[in-house]
Amino acid sequence: MFKRRKQKEKKHHTGEIPTGSFSDIAFLLIIYFLVATTLVKVQSVTADLPTGEKQADAQVDKTPVVNLRGTEIFFSDKKVSVENFNARLAALKLAEQPPENRVIMLESTKDTPYEVYFQALAAISSNHGVVAIVEEEE
Amino acid sequence: MKRSRSKKRRKVQVPVASMGDIAFLLIIFFLLLSEFAKDKDLPIALPESEQVEKTEAVVVARVAIDSSGDIYFDGDRVDNAKDVEWGIRALLTRTVSDNQRHVQFKCDARLPRETFEPVLKAIAEAGGIIEAVGEKP
Repeated sequence: MFKRRKQKEKKHHTGEIPTGSFSDIAFLLIIYFLVATTLVKVQSVTADLPTGEKQADAQVDKTPVVNLRGTEIFFSDKKVSVENFNARLAALKLAEQPPENRVIMLESTKDTPYEVYFQALAAISSNHGVVAIVEEEE
Repeated sequence: MKRSRSKKRRKVQVPVASMGDIAFLLIIFFLLLSEFAKDKDLPIALPESEQVEKTEAVVVARVAIDSSGDIYFDGDRVDNAKDVEWGIRALLTRTVSDNQRHVQFKCDARLPRETFEPVLKAIAEAGGIIEAVGEKP
């Protein structure tokens, strides 16, 4: 009788970790991550600004110049709205031009907010233009 | 006699012993590949434009300027635009194609030129293609 009891106790202490439910737990975790993950795709404008040596004597007379003065946009020294600016850039048909003729000079005053700068950048890039930032002379 | 034997169905057991291992391998795979947005909580009011499109390119780095003018490179605050330039230069040393040069740029819409333009120039100088993030109005 005593021996039997001992045998029964031994059966309970096998030391094995129950792993039967591991796969269920793992798959539940996968489902949780899949449901909780949000794939954020941001919207953006692509701009490849040319780099290299600073050109002091750029072909200013031939290259279209965009001036940003505060919140106003000037294209070839004429004030334009964002829509008008887009239309004028589209009229240049930059996509059909060779790369060297796609350059648009972008000049801005110190108080120009990024909002306006971004709109100009977006308009130029969407019309296949290449933005060249004009630096102020010190 | 033969017929009665053929009627007996064989018990087919699907091997499920390795299911747990496969599941955990999948979890590890997703954990390693997932990317957490580090600049999600930064106070940035994005500019608006009709021309913005969904970014298809894979970006190598993320540069952000928050509403107070602080610059962040891949989620970490940096002192100036020069740090951004060196950071991108280091990342682009082994790039071979243009697809590997895209750098995401987020900036608060109200910031003045003197804050964002040096950073834009720094990205361009380092050889990055700017992916300026905005929203549709």
